[in-house]
Amino acid sequence: MGILTLLVFLPVLGAVVCLFVPKQQVRTVAVAFALATFVLSLSLFGTFFGGGEDSTEAIFGTQYGKLHHVERATWIEGKNFTVEYFLGIDGLGFPLFILTTLIAFLACLASWNFDRWKINKGVRAYFILFLLLETGMLGVFVSMDFFLFYVFWEVMLLPMYFLIGVWGGSRREYAAIKFFLFTLAGSVLMLVVLVAMYFYSDAPITAEMSRLGTEGIASGYRGEDVLISHGTFDLIELATNPVIQSYFAAKSTLFLGLKFAPVMFMLLFIGFAIKLPCVPVHTWLPDAHVEAPTPISMILAGVLLKMGGYGFLRLCYPIFPTGGERWAFFLAVVGVVSIIYGALCAMAQTDFKKLVAYSSVSHMGYVLLGIAVMTQAGFQGAMFQMIAHGISSPMCFYLVGVIYDRAHHREIDRFGGLWLTMPRYGTLATIGFFASLGLPGLCGFIGEIWVLLGTFGARDKYVWAVPMAIIAAGGVILTAGYILWLIRRVYLGQEREEYAGFSDASARETFVLIPMAVLAIAMGIFPMQTVFNYTNGTLDLMLAHVANATAMMP
Amino acid sequence: MTTSHTYEILLALGILAPMISFWVLVLFGRYLRKPGAGWFAVLLGMGVPLVLATVVLIGWSGEDAAARAALTENAYRFHWANLGAVPVTIGVKLDSLTVAMFFMVAIVSFLIFFFSIGYMSGHSDEVDGKSLYSRFFAYLSLFGFSMLGLVVSSSLLFLFICWELVGLCSYLLIGFYFDRAYASAAGIKAFITNRVGDFGFIVGLMLVFFQLGTLDLDQAAATFAGQHAAFLADPTSAAAGIFADPFTLFGWSLATIMGIGLFCGAMGKSAQFPLHVWLPDAMAGPTPVSALIHAATMVAAGVYLVARVFRLMTPEALMFIAVIGCLTLTLMALVAIVQVDIKKCLAYSTLSQLGYMIFGMGCGAWIAALFHLTTHAFFKAMLFLCSGQVIEGCHHEQDMRKMGGLYKKMPVTCWTFFIGVLAISGAGIAGTGIGLGGFFSKDEILAVAYTRAYGWEYEKHQESAGHDSHALGAPRSKTEVRLVAFQDSDQAGHRPDQTHDGQRVEPAGNEDQVQRDRQPILEDGKEPLHAGAIRLLQHPEEHGAGTAAIFRGIPPLPKWLFWLAVFTAYVTPFYMMRAWWMTFMGKPRDEHVYKHAHEIWLMYVPLIALSVGTVFSGYLLFRPLISDGAAAATAAATVLATDGHMHTEAINAAHGWLFWGVGFAFLVGFAIAFAIYRKGLETADKIRRGAGILYVILERKYFFDEVYNFVWVKGCILVAKISRLIDTYVVDLLFDLAAFTIRRLADFSGWVLDNHGVDGVFNGVAKTSQDFAGVVRSPQTGRIRNYLLFAAAVATVVLICVLLAGWESVSSVARAAETTIP
Repeated sequence: MGILTLLVFLPVLGAVVCLFVPKQQVRTVAVAFALATFVLSLSLFGTFFGGGEDSTEAIFGTQYGKLHHVERATWIEGKNFTVEYFLGIDGLGFPLFILTTLIAFLACLASWNFDRWKINKGVRAYFILFLLLETGMLGVFVSMDFFLFYVFWEVMLLPMYFLIGVWGGSRREYAAIKFFLFTLAGSVLMLVVLVAMYFYSDAPITAEMSRLGTEGIASGYRGEDVLISHGTFDLIELATNPVIQSYFAAKSTLFLGLKFAPVMFMLLFIGFAIKLPCVPVHTWLPDAHVEAPTPISMILAGVLLKMGGYGFLRLCYPIFPTGGERWAFFLAVVGVVSIIYGALCAMAQTDFKKLVAYSSVSHMGYVLLGIAVMTQAGFQGAMFQMIAHGISSPMCFYLVGVIYDRAHHREIDRFGGLWLTMPRYGTLATIGFFASLGLPGLCGFIGEIWVLLGTFGARDKYVWAVPMAIIAAGGVILTAGYILWLIRRVYLGQEREEYAGFSDASARETFVLIPMAVLAIAMGIFPMQTVFNYTNGTLDLMLAHVANATAMMP
Repeated sequence: MTTSHTYEILLALGILAPMISFWVLVLFGRYLRKPGAGWFAVLLGMGVPLVLATVVLIGWSGEDAAARAALTENAYRFHWANLGAVPVTIGVKLDSLTVAMFFMVAIVSFLIFFFSIGYMSGHSDEVDGKSLYSRFFAYLSLFGFSMLGLVVSSSLLFLFICWELVGLCSYLLIGFYFDRAYASAAGIKAFITNRVGDFGFIVGLMLVFFQLGTLDLDQAAATFAGQHAAFLADPTSAAAGIFADPFTLFGWSLATIMGIGLFCGAMGKSAQFPLHVWLPDAMAGPTPVSALIHAATMVAAGVYLVARVFRLMTPEALMFIAVIGCLTLTLMALVAIVQVDIKKCLAYSTLSQLGYMIFGMGCGAWIAALFHLTTHAFFKAMLFLCSGQVIEGCHHEQDMRKMGGLYKKMPVTCWTFFIGVLAISGAGIAGTGIGLGGFFSKDEILAVAYTRAYGWEYEKHQESAGHDSHALGAPRSKTEVRLVAFQDSDQAGHRPDQTHDGQRVEPAGNEDQVQRDRQPILEDGKEPLHAGAIRLLQHPEEHGAGTAAIFRGIPPLPKWLFWLAVFTAYVTPFYMMRAWWMTFMGKPRDEHVYKHAHEIWLMYVPLIALSVGTVFSGYLLFRPLISDGAAAATAAATVLATDGHMHTEAINAAHGWLFWGVGFAFLVGFAIAFAIYRKGLETADKIRRGAGILYVILERKYFFDEVYNFVWVKGCILVAKISRLIDTYVVDLLFDLAAFTIRRLADFSGWVLDNHGVDGVFNGVAKTSQDFAGVVRSPQTGRIRNYLLFAAAVATVVLICVLLAGWESVSSVARAAETTIP
């Protein structure tokens, strides 16, 4: 059993253990397993630092498809198709994988006071679902087989639905169903692509085989020895096999009368855009966040939203590079609208958590914009922004949670003077919200400026790139506006009597916040050592692959 | 030690020290208590940088020109990250300007840190009754780090990062008394107004990065110059980069927009019109903060930025800068006349002085502007600290109408303040070379402006060239044509007929000749004369006769700009004398305030030190250093700055004018102030009543706050609320409608399917998961089940449809593919 399998299924093991331990011990077991997963996942760094077999590699993935810790076995063998259990990790999945294990651990720790929640029944079910959710998330980031990817994707969905729907706030059913239906709509589109990809990869292979009269054609990345004789779900194969790629991109390849690549790209895009989320399919997010319990909000903001961005980079662009070119303008518009509109909506919120939720919409707009323009800096910035948001956003949600635990409301205007009441918490809150604001020296800045410069850099390709970059840059003013206004209303001002008795952040709460605060600072100061070193190799190669494919097209 | 990195290491350590101080105070501040935390910040946070700065200054002064150039050249660059494929480096930009600025910031900061211990010793560190003593010094330390970092940064990106960090410190310190609503509001105002400027800065950065391919200051300047040379050789060549770009906005070329974009950052930070609104409000912070951040250092960072990116400027961008600076210096000086709050009065005077510096930059008076920056840092810091002493001594009374007669209670403060008044007024004995810092620096700016406005005889040529540029149909070529015009006029005999390379140029007799001459110049790709002018700039001693020629690379300055600056030279002494007289002289007007007034040594020792600096440091220390750094720092391709030699020339040229024009301005201003305020406030009241609407306009600061608040703040919130309504009632409604329809369908299908027993299966599934989850008991089981059911059903149907349709087309295409795939 490889390290990835171990890591992905360790939480499941934890869930099984949870079934059998006494109720009081469940949370300990869950935290222990989340911690074990996190610590073990750190061993993946060995690949980079020179501990692993690939010590000669300077960075992850020196060619696209150069995966580490690959595990593959045939999972479902049909007459004419194969579904593989195919795990691997590269520069795209690696930072997100670590982020997931970290945030899951911190969120698990944030659930420690489960007994004092409003709905505090079913501690066992809660932690079991939580651990299953973690498995689903981890699986998504390492699956290299589309079918497997889809399975993990769905595995992730259901626990989330229950976690919001059962342990959420007063409108939890509405929020849970909304979340479920939106995501499911995306899943259905993905399913269509899944099936179509299989058949559309089968057709050219069959044709090629009958033309050459061979038993199969050479794999795109596994060397001449490996022959494939029918359609495939292998994501790397789909992206690298010239036969499949040229067929996918050909103008004569039609799907329901439309050009294949752009349609598939758009279907996947919608599916992932719901997850990201971008305007106008974002409305599930504020509701889900507001109703979800704090740790679940952390997971939702920290990891689930990243699935969207990850999906673009893993599926859309490498497999349908021409689609990216085709829809670049549309995607960029959606990204910019998300940035500005999300920020404006955030400004008008009166609910603390909803404000943070809308700020996520705004921040993820930068991810979409950076990806859409298809420049090196844009891709790098989008990736960085995902990780940075994966740190700052859970931190903000936890900060809201800490105060909600004490005040039992989230009305921004009813707060005030909390920095005086809770000095330690106030200081951490300042770091968290300034990271979210994109203050240089903290993590939010790097992603934004990289995306902005990357967008501007697409000036030669697209006439619209400059206006987009300028409008997006205007977003930084709005962001500063709503964050500072928020800080002023909640943390500044005179101490209020009703909150005078509040205790400062407890040791556990501080312990949850500190790693995120430290990372927020570290990523802002050492972007290369913390993120870029791991991601850029893969991203640059992927972009080169996309550029090649686009250039080859008639 | 020409190739070693000693200086850089010392400067870097100097930046590190306040950072360490910051973290220690944040983490362990409360154990250090009061005043331990303060002394810690003073000694480690600024004492260490000051010592290091002094060492560097002494060492640097000992190096000769060649060694300095080598040190600048060989400075170390740390590879920080890759932006796209372009490496972003950070390092120390080692040159005379850095050394001078670093020392200035370190010494002023040190004195103000020291002063803060005294200021905070009472109850000034309390926010809503809680002492935040160590936090105050932590913020100050962070500021020290950011400001020093900004000064030494070799990269525009790192400069921008420090730029934002000083903004953060400014925000935190303005809102230090955050229990007061106006203080935190002022903090937000400062931060957001700065962000508006930073928006322009980011646009500038984007242009620099994309057009010049680097964010390193020196590399960017080199590339810029290279592109310009390529452009002059061949306007269509690919190497011409930013100059060859056909894009224009309001008639500005892309290169100009880049310069203006970068300047926008300076407009925010240096509070230039129309982004000046935050600085007066920033006085809500503790007074040492006003002195340090909002008078001496941070607000001057904008001027420093312009000085640093001077090499990326175009003539149009410089003109823009000059106009903005001039508007600021005039309008703000007028507002200062009517202020009654001692700090607000100083704040408007700061705005006006910053306007002077920016105006100087725009004129090309690079040295004079920076010289004014350093002298201003000393005297304005001193003035603010004096006001802090007054405020602290008078129990936080800031209204000058309630003061008066304080000279008896606060003699040291009174007379140091007076020195400051003399300095800012530009007091000196005209024509003798005896005077205070402000006397020389202001005179230099005015001298250069005078030469720019009146020492100009080339409009005619430029006009003819202008016609030609239209004929060429390329608006962007303005710069080039202007430079050519400059060459023509030189050929016409205003300058020696030898260009730098000794080539004999035929004098141009008339306009036709001019046009004939220009063409070959562009086509042959001969090195244009402006390049020679730069050489002239670098070796002024070889070209004594070249005075006027230097200015010809940039267009003449509109005369009204110059006259406004002169006018303000009379206004400044008036309002400063008014403030001093109202505060310290005359009879006490408020018994209560007067009774409490006192001063303490912790606070007046720094005052004395600063007053010494005000009197002596400027001309002895900073002027030579800045002048030394000028040649390299202003070796711009498209614009020309005046070097030290040139300044002297300009002053000599304008000498007679300056003597009579502004030489006695301070006496006139003092006299008027004395006449009005000698006997108290009655005369002033009469004048005020007489002024009517004019007074209201000044008193309300031209209604900027009201208009901004209405248009931007209220407007933004309105748009935000509309967005929220759209989100709730339009976007969501669509989805809710869809959900409703589906629900109706689902009710139906659920019922039908129930009857057929399929529901049983789902029930079973749900049951299983319920059992498994323990408490998964959804209160509205039916609805959820229906949703799930319907979702599953829809998925299945869609899937089947797609598969059928898809397979159909696949098989048809596959058949086709057999023939098409080679």
